[in-house]
Amino acid sequence: MATGAAITSHSTSNPSSRAITYSWTILCLLTIGLWWLSPGHTTNTVEPSVDITTVVIVLGFIKGRLVIRYFMAVKNAPQWLRLSTDFWLLMLWGAVLGIYLY
Amino acid sequence: MTHAEPTRVAGLQLRAASIDDGQQRTVRLPGDGHMWFMVLGDLIIFAAYFIIYMVQRAMAPEAYLQAQQHLSITIGIFNTLVLVTSSWFIAQSVRATADARHERAIRLIYGGGACGVLFIALKAYEWSMKITQGYTTSNEFFMFYYMLTGTHLFHVALGLLILGIVVRELRNPRRRRLSIVEQGATYWHMVDLLWLVIFALLYVMR
Repeated sequence: MATGAAITSHSTSNPSSRAITYSWTILCLLTIGLWWLSPGHTTNTVEPSVDITTVVIVLGFIKGRLVIRYFMAVKNAPQWLRLSTDFWLLMLWGAVLGIYLY
Repeated sequence: MTHAEPTRVAGLQLRAASIDDGQQRTVRLPGDGHMWFMVLGDLIIFAAYFIIYMVQRAMAPEAYLQAQQHLSITIGIFNTLVLVTSSWFIAQSVRATADARHERAIRLIYGGGACGVLFIALKAYEWSMKITQGYTTSNEFFMFYYMLTGTHLFHVALGLLILGIVVRELRNPRRRRLSIVEQGATYWHMVDLLWLVIFALLYVMR
């Protein structure tokens, strides 16, 4: 009995098949949504857009976190790894936004 | 990090490790520390590339935006969907290995690898198209485009090699271990993660 419980406990430390598929679905939908925002989407001359770039940066953060948490299985990883990956995401997208706005 | 004694019987090694992990903690490191050290290092190096790109872009935003319009968003979207789907295959393969369904795990890795090959083919097609149209490294935006996508492409190729090693290990009942599959998956998902940033910065932002 103890062995069975331990195996179950170990198996649940990896994301479930359903959680992986949900993440994949959200990632695909967000990616397709970005199609309308891209400058290559139109042949007209495009103008810089703070609003669109901010949306792209926020979506980039969300997509990156989905990959890290559910594909890389960091959701149940030790705290140092959860903090370092979140720190990387925040620093990267924060710097991108900061440089763009500056 | 503690490990159970390795065993030569198929499946038992995974179970022994499971007992070890299950009894001592519910939180655990996927793969191993060495792979995470390499992946975090790679993420920092790429973050530096992205910041350098943003600084250069900020100096001539109109010229960059004009050049961005010459990229095919359709190919960019397909590349992203293909790589995200490859990550789905690999993440499901880890799940299958954790459930001791090794044949399924191997088939899923083949699926992920096939998506990786398709990604390289799409990128090669895009590069050849851009070079034919005259967009070369003489344009600053395209210099970054070739540098960032080229470095990333090298990582995709290395990822395919690592996936090949994972399949070899999984096919041998005496060598299969969950941590090996997790290490390969960690690297592969890093490749996906980096592409999502490249896609946002080069193809979509204005």
